[in-house]
Amino acid sequence: MASRTPVIPLSESFGEITREVARIPLHMPARIPWLIAFILSLALLSLFLASITYLFARGVGIWGLNIPVNWAFAIHLYVWWLGLGHAGTLISAMLLLMGQDWRNSLNRFAEAMTVCAVICAGMEPIIHLGRPWFVYWMFPYPATMGVWPQFRSPLEWDVWAVMTYLIVSILFWYIGLVPDLATVRDRAKRRGWQVFFGIFALGWRGSARHWAVWNKTYRTIAAIAVPLVVSVHSEVSLLFASGQIPGWHSTIFPPYFVLGAAFSGFAMVAMIAIVMRHAFQLGHIVTERHLDVLAKVTLAMGMMTAYGYFFEVFDAYYSGEAREIATVHDRFFGAYAWSYWGAVCCNFLPLQLLWFDRVRRSPVLLFLISTSVVVGMWLERYMILVTSLYKDFLPSSFGYYHASFWDWSTYIGMLGLFLTPFLLFVRFLPSISIFEDKEVLAREQEEAARG
Amino acid sequence: MSGGKTFWRSLDEYQRSDAFGEMLKAEFPSIFELWTADRRQVLRVMGASLALAGMTACKPVRSDDVVPFVYRPEGFLEGRTDHYATAVPFEGYAQPVLATTSAGRPIKLDGNPEHPAFRGGSTPFMQAAILDLYDPDRSQEPLMAGRPASWDEFDGQMVKWRDAWRASGGAGLRLLIGSTTSPTLLRQIAELKRALPQARVHLFDPLGGYAGGAPQRLRPKLDAADVVVSLDDDLLGPGPAQAIHGRAWGERHGDAQERMRLFVAETTPTQTGAKADRRLGIPPSRLAMLAKAIVGGGKVTLTDQELAWAKEARQALESTRGRSLLTIGPSAPPQLQAAALQVNRALGNVGRTCEVAAPLTYVPEPGGSFLDLVRDIEARRVSALFVLGPNPVYQAPGDIPFAALYAKVALRVHAGLHTDETGAISNWHLPLPHALEEWSDARSPDGLATIVQPVVRPMFDSRSLHEIVASLTADAVPSAREIVRKTWARQLGDDAAWAGALKTGFVAMPARAAAPANVIPPPSPAAAPKNGEVEIVIRPDPTIHDGSFANNGWLQELPKPLFKTTWENVVAISPRLAAELKVESGDVVRVESGGRAVEGPAWVLPGQPQQVITLYLGYGRKRAGRIGTGIGYDAYRLRSAAEPWNAVGTVKPTGERVKLATTQEQHLMDAEGADLIRTVTPAHPSALRNEEELDRTSFYPEWPEHDPAWGMVIDLDRCIGCNACVLACQAENNIPVVGQHQVYEGREMAWLRVDRYYAGEPDDPETHFQPVPCMHCEQAPCEMGCPVHATVHSPDGLNLMVYNRCIGTRTCSSYCPYKVRRFNWFDYTTDAPSPTEAQRNPDVTVRGRGVMEKCTYCIQRIEGAKVQADIENRDVRDGEVTTACQQACPAQAITFGNLADVESAVAGQRKSPRNYSLLGEQGTRPRTTYLAKIGDEPDGE
Repeated sequence: MASRTPVIPLSESFGEITREVARIPLHMPARIPWLIAFILSLALLSLFLASITYLFARGVGIWGLNIPVNWAFAIHLYVWWLGLGHAGTLISAMLLLMGQDWRNSLNRFAEAMTVCAVICAGMEPIIHLGRPWFVYWMFPYPATMGVWPQFRSPLEWDVWAVMTYLIVSILFWYIGLVPDLATVRDRAKRRGWQVFFGIFALGWRGSARHWAVWNKTYRTIAAIAVPLVVSVHSEVSLLFASGQIPGWHSTIFPPYFVLGAAFSGFAMVAMIAIVMRHAFQLGHIVTERHLDVLAKVTLAMGMMTAYGYFFEVFDAYYSGEAREIATVHDRFFGAYAWSYWGAVCCNFLPLQLLWFDRVRRSPVLLFLISTSVVVGMWLERYMILVTSLYKDFLPSSFGYYHASFWDWSTYIGMLGLFLTPFLLFVRFLPSISIFEDKEVLAREQEEAARG
Repeated sequence: MSGGKTFWRSLDEYQRSDAFGEMLKAEFPSIFELWTADRRQVLRVMGASLALAGMTACKPVRSDDVVPFVYRPEGFLEGRTDHYATAVPFEGYAQPVLATTSAGRPIKLDGNPEHPAFRGGSTPFMQAAILDLYDPDRSQEPLMAGRPASWDEFDGQMVKWRDAWRASGGAGLRLLIGSTTSPTLLRQIAELKRALPQARVHLFDPLGGYAGGAPQRLRPKLDAADVVVSLDDDLLGPGPAQAIHGRAWGERHGDAQERMRLFVAETTPTQTGAKADRRLGIPPSRLAMLAKAIVGGGKVTLTDQELAWAKEARQALESTRGRSLLTIGPSAPPQLQAAALQVNRALGNVGRTCEVAAPLTYVPEPGGSFLDLVRDIEARRVSALFVLGPNPVYQAPGDIPFAALYAKVALRVHAGLHTDETGAISNWHLPLPHALEEWSDARSPDGLATIVQPVVRPMFDSRSLHEIVASLTADAVPSAREIVRKTWARQLGDDAAWAGALKTGFVAMPARAAAPANVIPPPSPAAAPKNGEVEIVIRPDPTIHDGSFANNGWLQELPKPLFKTTWENVVAISPRLAAELKVESGDVVRVESGGRAVEGPAWVLPGQPQQVITLYLGYGRKRAGRIGTGIGYDAYRLRSAAEPWNAVGTVKPTGERVKLATTQEQHLMDAEGADLIRTVTPAHPSALRNEEELDRTSFYPEWPEHDPAWGMVIDLDRCIGCNACVLACQAENNIPVVGQHQVYEGREMAWLRVDRYYAGEPDDPETHFQPVPCMHCEQAPCEMGCPVHATVHSPDGLNLMVYNRCIGTRTCSSYCPYKVRRFNWFDYTTDAPSPTEAQRNPDVTVRGRGVMEKCTYCIQRIEGAKVQADIENRDVRDGEVTTACQQACPAQAITFGNLADVESAVAGQRKSPRNYSLLGEQGTRPRTTYLAKIGDEPDGE
């Protein structure tokens, strides 16, 4: 470990780190670009609101759904958003527990990304309902009729999984934020800022007792969060695997989905890290070393996902089930072959460049490769859903799905639902963990002093 | 959908100009009326008129007395349904029905179970007739030159006309009637001719022929036939006797001891060809030659395949003398009918498998054909033309410019259900009542008569056809009921006999003596196509028929049995010709013949004879109503008066392409699909493929045994693919019509569908039909998926759908291996035209937006039977519960009942070696199972 280049350059000072990060909310450096981005995301958010208003007024028929393909964008995007979110939890919680210091520069915004993505993911199954105003029937509230939700249904598990995940993610993110909120509070000059941060800092004084309690809480929640990554996305995969539809009914689905989720999530974190680093000149806090590590993890996750692809095909042929094999053929050569080959190409071809050190450390190339992965995983979720449903068992009920205008507008608008809170977070909160980075620096300096 | 819509929109900008409105009203009264008919307004008016109709109809119409509802009429029970035997017309024949009414509203029609020939069997047209009753586009009041008028005004005019006719003996007065079997109308025509000897009655029968009506044909009795050879006769397809033939088919198939063998040679694929044991596709030009080969004698030039077919058919006919039948289709050359009669006489079949009888329909006297009328108009011999029922402006052949000729007649009076193409250019349009609103009579194809009695008060200001005809000669017109009773005065003179006839729904009538045997003229050489030309076959559309059902949403959305297309007609084209022309299904082709042309989407139809294309009548309507106007192409344009069924012409692609609203993709059944439709043979009597199919090992516990355990068995050997079950289900279960666009999207709502599969060579395929309702799986994948318990299992084995609890996750449908569930993507029921609401079955929930629905095994009927059994303190008897599809099926292909009762019919069928489960290997344990088809060849195992 010691032979490696330090995660944060030794030339940094503690004060410098604090100043660098705390200035972002207090004295927004990239005011104009932020404003442009924010207006853009507000526009997208308005598109989303318009789309779901029309959706609620008319019904889900405005989308291109039909029988047999009665699930499409809303469900595939649900899986996709949730997958993106998983990297935040993995980076923050798992790497925290494993003592991987490099995560300290990335965890805060990765967690924020998780919260935003989970909010988007949670919206999808609600808006896809035929009667969304009855969504509360999925909750175990004390109904006067004594009716309970149906606990055998994977959709019911979804409700629990997403709710748990959302609550734990928010808690984890907020608890991690408290010491930094206090730091910014103390540096704020204007009364408004002082009150704002003062309230949310919960009276943090940085006493040893505070730190002891905080440490215990933070790590406990991290320990709760880590298994959630596996359980939530495994559960999501069961939404498909529980049905008998060829192409879904497979035991490989849970690991396949979890790995795919982590894969797309890490790519997403890399994208955000590169943008933030560039926008706020944080090159010395989010270093090339960070990009290198992110790229390596993405590569590893990608190769494991590729293994899932391979085994899905192998499984179908090994089973000898004619309809399973037919579904594989439909994926290769059918009407939606573009989604299969698109997913394969976007996910795995550019990815191979990450074997090279120079590419891993190049922000531009890494950004492009990560984008390709996020798009590829989008296509993969679409492919899994549509290519299985459009031809299932009886040739008489085969049918095609085409996304309508409203499918696209709801999806594109939802990017606004993701970006708006994220940009607000970047604007008003310390988006990189100050105290944890200082911790890293302190440890590095100690190691350096020891020689 | 409606061609009128763009028209209104272009007028929109003028809407505020009062002066323009006044001008429009004065100049174009009919357009003005259209213009004001904004959809909402129309619905509101309809709603109001319906409310009135509903109020007046709040008691079963048995007498002319009005009973105020202060006291409940004796025997009237809210919520109870009443049944009346009556008939609805089809091609002028009676289709005897039992009408179900609820609180005075007719809600369903089914075949009259006591009728000796129909025995409860239905056809799609019979089922759909009730929707026409509630058609919001029906004409509602007399129109004079397109402007609303009253019957008093009409009667005032009539007095003047009548005086003139009396003076002249009716010179210049012509009546044009459609095909009819009504004894009362026939009596009235005879009386009219006596009173006004100069007047003349012409027959307009577009499906019988413009030159004088249908040729005399044998009346087949299929139930007695061991071998049937059909030359282009679509016995099992749409027609007045479809239910009768279907019944006979069912009796001679499935578990029948003596299975009927069917040989079909056809110029275009039909349901009959699909069910044939030996099918042959043949161009019309060679049909006569093929007949010659069967009749024997003379040299024939046929292909080897055709010769082999003819030889086998001939041998089969001869080896079953007295139990065989040769039948010729109505569109075949008339000489062939005579040849068939000769063959059947020689084989001793006449009187056993067929009857020779005088036609039941009106036969015009010489000079009384439509062509004679055309000649007379051209010669200016017609001063007044009363078009009573038919729509000649739309249905005249393309080589007769009837619209222009009609305009030359000074007085044009049209009576009909709609202000159709003919009504729109008449001086007077008179609304006729629907068959369920009027007194009349008609004969069914078997010869029995049915008194048509009203089951509801007329909704609109209509007048019976009989009253209109009577008013041509009489100053004081009795009511239609009196007119009909007078016809039956001798036979049903006393009130008890009359009431008995109304109750049973049929009356015997003496058969008229058969016409003398025809001599056979030599078959005339049919027009053979020259190089680069194709033969054109013209047929009624499989669901819209001759166009008279164009405004019926159920029939428009009903998938055509062979194409599975909806909402428009196609040009059927053989796979080889399609390959030659580089045309695929959906490519628009232009068909030209005799200097006239139509353009329509091609449909590559397996089994279509190679150089033959088929056009379908009934579409391209200009004034059918909001549903039927402006869709499809008008094949009447290509018809000629002399040869209405065939033509020779060219076909070429236009380069355009349209999206067809199909409910099923077209493909041959491949190896993996072969298990779906199974065929047993004498050598392999079991439908099961292997022992594993009997293996019931499962991770899950067995569904507990329970009595009753409802189940259904569908016999694929009996199913003729007629779709009667589909429409019966639609009528019974309040299934909405969603429209062409929604069908494109794959959102049709039918709970029961009839899947059509092909096997073998596209040029000469096997065709299979498979009705697919909900399987009511014991291990239902859908139930496991629902997060809110909206789809659950009942103890008696029904897979229930709780609409109120459904939140629309659609997981059930995603998980359903049979894809039988249907989803309300929009609010389909509130948007329906309001009068059609009155048709809805009060026992079935009307589903709102965002909920899933599917076949319930007609749970309302099960519950009804249970209530009745409870009242009588007994168990539900076998056969007491019939599902709507089962009740409608003319071929008795569907059996429903209690599987736990070993004595029940359904349990008996389950034990058949032909019994198999669809996708049984999925472990879903379907409660709906199938009986395999019976074939004489191994099915390629």
